[in-house]
Amino acid sequence: MAFVDPDSLSVKFDGHLTLRTVSANHATLLQALSKNKSVSVDFDDDVQIDLSFLQLMESARIYANTAGRTISIAKPASGQLHDLLDRSGFLQTMSPKDARFWLHKGDNQ
Amino acid sequence: MSFPDPITVFRTEAAELLEQVESGLLDLNVNLGDKEQVDAVFRGLHTLKGSGAMFGFEALAAFTHHCETAFDQVRKGIVPATHDLVTAVLGATDHMRALIEVPGGDHDAVSEMLLARLRTAVAAAGDPAAQVASQAPAKPQGTTYRLTFSLPMNAMANGNNPLGLIDELRDLGECTVSADRSTIPALDDLNPTDLYLSWTVDLTTDKGRSAIDDVFIFVMDEMQLTVEVMGETPASAQPVHVASAVPAPPAVPSSPAPAPEATAVARAAPPAADPKQAKSSENVRVPAERLDELMDRVGELVIAQSRLSQLAGVSGDLMLRAVSEDVERLSGELRDTMMVLRMVPVAQLFGRFRRLVHDLAIETGKTIELVTEGESTEVDKSVIERLADPLVHLVRNSCDHGLETGEERRAAGKPAAGKILLSARQQAGEVIITIKDDGRGINRDRVRAKAEASGLIAPNAVLSEQELLQLIFQPGFSTAQQVTNLSGRGVGMDVVKRTIDALRGTINVVSKTGEGSEISLAIPLTLAIIDGLLVRIGSGRYVIPLSAVEECLELSIDDDMRSRGRSFISLRDSLVPFIRLRELFRTGTTPDPFQKVVVISTGAERVGLVVDQIIGDHQTVIKGMSKLHHDVATFSGATILGDGGVALILDVAHLVAAGQQQEAQLRAAG
Repeated sequence: MAFVDPDSLSVKFDGHLTLRTVSANHATLLQALSKNKSVSVDFDDDVQIDLSFLQLMESARIYANTAGRTISIAKPASGQLHDLLDRSGFLQTMSPKDARFWLHKGDNQ
Repeated sequence: MSFPDPITVFRTEAAELLEQVESGLLDLNVNLGDKEQVDAVFRGLHTLKGSGAMFGFEALAAFTHHCETAFDQVRKGIVPATHDLVTAVLGATDHMRALIEVPGGDHDAVSEMLLARLRTAVAAAGDPAAQVASQAPAKPQGTTYRLTFSLPMNAMANGNNPLGLIDELRDLGECTVSADRSTIPALDDLNPTDLYLSWTVDLTTDKGRSAIDDVFIFVMDEMQLTVEVMGETPASAQPVHVASAVPAPPAVPSSPAPAPEATAVARAAPPAADPKQAKSSENVRVPAERLDELMDRVGELVIAQSRLSQLAGVSGDLMLRAVSEDVERLSGELRDTMMVLRMVPVAQLFGRFRRLVHDLAIETGKTIELVTEGESTEVDKSVIERLADPLVHLVRNSCDHGLETGEERRAAGKPAAGKILLSARQQAGEVIITIKDDGRGINRDRVRAKAEASGLIAPNAVLSEQELLQLIFQPGFSTAQQVTNLSGRGVGMDVVKRTIDALRGTINVVSKTGEGSEISLAIPLTLAIIDGLLVRIGSGRYVIPLSAVEECLELSIDDDMRSRGRSFISLRDSLVPFIRLRELFRTGTTPDPFQKVVVISTGAERVGLVVDQIIGDHQTVIKGMSKLHHDVATFSGATILGDGGVALILDVAHLVAAGQQQEAQLRAAG
């Protein structure tokens, strides 16, 4: 994880984005959003991802929305993340806002 | 009350699944076009993968996924089933067992090797792309269900993976999955390991409602599930795009929408009309150790009942006698019921030999056909367990040495495919298991030469056919000119003999040169409690297994005197040798005036046992001999009598053999 800019922060999650790491990532994200107006989340393409990460990001979006912050992912969902969104039924119920956030279709939230 | 460890339960169920998969693969290997077997194998692999992931066996799930994918392609007609593919997946099932037993082991190299073999088999099966192009897109048929489900919040933390369930639903048919995220809280209220998501799935399947229930079978008790029938799609109808036809409703896990008529809640009792569900509710899985414990208790009860009978017999109290008779009847019935509980069909045992013969055929390059008969014959479970190793040795031996190569068979005017028959049947109190091959038969000259060379018999010793053939069970005896990785070290056959002896069984060998060999194992149906005939010899009491008793005769003093030096009685025009057990056991007592001869038999061989008194029948709880007395051949065990005394159980097979030997010596002496 590396903090780059105090106003517009990029949070890089190292390692897998699974149940094992979600608590630590939760704490990191909460701290980042509470102190910064805009947070961008980055992670490697080949990491394992599970539902806990999707829930974490959705929760972060809700928090950001109510706290007047902005959250985004550094690059559009592809590979494993895209597969996970598809398998878990996120893609089927995506609103335009969701599509902007996860797939970068249009502006980020 | 202890509850079974979920991992242990998973391992047991996974072992059964793998057996089913293996059986399906072997059936498929016989008929590669058997769609039913393809589906069965796929379902088995799929369930194994899903439940493996659920219980944290990630490596197993990942590995099995590849095999499942391969069979999914077969199922969908993308790739045809081939012998190579079946063999590759059979090899993979062995590895799956290893992944289950040692999930943390270093399996990567083997996994990769097996998957490479699988990929090769799939690639060789055909050009997938070309075949895909030729396939018409599958039309969803059957009933469309709308499933709404949510798992408990701690599901993920407990190792349950909702995606596995969704994947399983997808395998049932056309699926549209919608996640409901409405209950996810803001980040500062989030417990990140909890599960907040719930799902609505529109599924069109022809598999029926029970298949849907099967998907949720492991989590049914803790989850919320509603299943609503949305409509039927007949086979001739155009496919319905469920996603556009039926908008996804909001699903609220904690308070599911009111169920329409066709909706069933997971906690509700399954429909009684579903035979599969009904069947599962009629069976209870019980650990084998508990059955053993129960058997021990029944054994102790039988001994206590025996003591009660004895006390009642000497007492003049009629009420006590009546109660004693009731207890005797009840304990007898309990014993019989217990015996039935312990009986399992030999199909369980025979099933594993299909795989063994399949592998041996590949290893030896021979075409081998395995035929099984009498698979429904039931035997005590402990006997089944102990028979496995001897049978493996015998089947291996038949495949490796008994059956000739295809060229040799053709040259001998036989069909190229060798045949091995594995059969079971009950006969009196025994189960007879026969391994028969149509191979070259046992070479008697080579057996004799080998036995003489190793000092087992004297040069030119006169041996009966059976005695000569029984030499193959001597330790270290093998006539195989070439030691292979299958057999030829003379170790296996020795194990066979020792195991069968320990089971109080007998081995009979029949072999015809050029026509094949037949080895029959006669094993008592049970090793726990038997009906015995209690006899007295001198001052000691002994039990003769009742199943071996043919008849009892009186040996008068005159007959006894006349038979001195001959020890034969005339029984319906045939001479039967007899053994004076008083002399054999050196009791040092004088014979009773009216001794009895108990005629016992094993198959066609008979021998009389001279005893002083026949006390009567006796429910005999068999106790093993101590280590000190383990090698005493005349006795197979001991039992505790009602008065607390101990009676030794006579080893029928040994005594019959001794009697026959005595007869042969007397005949030889003229």
